[in-house]
Amino acid sequence: MVMGQGLTRLILAIALLVACPLASSATDVPIVLIANPNVPIDSLTRETIRAIFAMRQRTLPDGQAVHVFVLPDESRVHARFAKEYLGVYPHQLRLSWDRVVFSGTGQAPNHVDSQAEMVERVATTPGGIGYIEQGYLDDRVRLLPLQ
Amino acid sequence: MIVSAYYRCSSACTGLTMALIAAACNVAPARAEGMLDTVQVHGFLSQALIVTDENNFFGPSSHDGGSLQYTEIGANLSFRPRQDVLIAIQGISRRAGADDSDFEPDLDYGLVDYQLFSSVDRTLGIQLGRVKNPFGFYNQTRDVAFTRPSILLPQSIYFDRTRSVGLAGDGISIYEQERLPNGTLYFQAGIGKPQVNDDAEKALSTTEPTLDGQISIISQIRYEHDGGRIIAALSAGRAQSRYEVDSKDSDSGTFVFQPWILSLQYNEDLWSLTAEYALRKRSLSGLNNAQHNYDITGESWYLQYTRRFQRDWQWLLRYDVLVNDRNDRSGRKLAATGAAPAYSQFAKDLTTGVQWRIHPQVLLAAEYHHVDGTGWLTIGDNEGETDQYWNMLLFQASLRF
Repeated sequence: MVMGQGLTRLILAIALLVACPLASSATDVPIVLIANPNVPIDSLTRETIRAIFAMRQRTLPDGQAVHVFVLPDESRVHARFAKEYLGVYPHQLRLSWDRVVFSGTGQAPNHVDSQAEMVERVATTPGGIGYIEQGYLDDRVRLLPLQ
Repeated sequence: MIVSAYYRCSSACTGLTMALIAAACNVAPARAEGMLDTVQVHGFLSQALIVTDENNFFGPSSHDGGSLQYTEIGANLSFRPRQDVLIAIQGISRRAGADDSDFEPDLDYGLVDYQLFSSVDRTLGIQLGRVKNPFGFYNQTRDVAFTRPSILLPQSIYFDRTRSVGLAGDGISIYEQERLPNGTLYFQAGIGKPQVNDDAEKALSTTEPTLDGQISIISQIRYEHDGGRIIAALSAGRAQSRYEVDSKDSDSGTFVFQPWILSLQYNEDLWSLTAEYALRKRSLSGLNNAQHNYDITGESWYLQYTRRFQRDWQWLLRYDVLVNDRNDRSGRKLAATGAAPAYSQFAKDLTTGVQWRIHPQVLLAAEYHHVDGTGWLTIGDNEGETDQYWNMLLFQASLRF
């Protein structure tokens, strides 16, 4: 009896451990990388995306100028994008931007205040690239999968 | 300020940069609108208060409540006239105690960057004009408080007393980025005329020789692994200047500064560990008065831990060591000649500080240094006796846009 109770608790604990990450990821809407429809590439590698969002690569692989759009540093979506897509923390990105801007080796990204604005600006800027939660996706922008 | 910075730039440099900018801007009207969309203007301003118990750093810091003579102001303009060209220029006005700069505006950098080749896994480019030297982790943006982990950079490597020597060069630089499966390799090499100003002239000798920058080469190879979790870099350079003594015993020779820096950094979400080690070879040769020729190698290193709290706060702990001459680490040999006290040949600096980003554009910082030795103490601020052991407290407010 005592054994049985212990076993039940153990199973319950394991079930919770397994279920919890699933539960949290279910509430987190996936974040997607988006681009202006004129961007003629189907996917990007993680290192290329890192270089573009660190503002160290100014052109897309097809040669056109890239225009990077980002949400504010304190945005949860920005923090998740940085972590999940780039594998970096927002403070590292900020330092990277400051270093290129104040050494003459690059420019700062374009800041937008909301995901709706992000879609709008990426849709209307040739070479535009940004990120949003999947729910904000519409047919004015194209999805850019990670290679 | 930018205009006057241009004025200060040597005529050759101005001519070259202007011609390049004019050439690069000569684009069809249809493109002009797109070019205007890329124009960016950024700037920064910082003001510090420095209080010391003994010795002076950046002004009369040991008197009357401290020194306010540490101010940095800068502004830059950049734009992309073509998809593969970036033009960037920054003017800076700075005051740091008794150095002669005293708010005189200067051209910090002014360059045309042309990307010759860019693909998914490789970018190759060339920069012409005045280019900041990629020297260690911090040199290229050393005057921008937001890019520094502390109010003062570790002085053993980023010494302010002869800052001009390694700051920037007027010439040409090439760079390459090689994107690997989980990291990026960066390479940069440049050749040009070094910026050698009064600070170096004063620091080198009491006779205040005239230094005329001749040629400098600098290169850096850097590897950033996994989005910058691990960063390793090796920087090497050589700056050569003509050395003229104008006093009654006029003489001339060649001064060469050759630094090597190994840099390592490990970054986690809430903390970073940084270490840099440098060997600094300095030689003066060719003087008729041969006893004034020398060839010495200095050594510098620091270990730095930074810890982030609540997203807006950062705490720093650092130990920084400078040895002026590896063959005279304690300075006793020099002291025996009566030229200078032994403690002027080294500096061991234990620093702790905090930074608070109260707004994305506002940074407040405070830090405390306990220093043994005066190896990097600014010379013009200390005319009389100095003390071996000294403490320094700094406060700084910075803005950027």
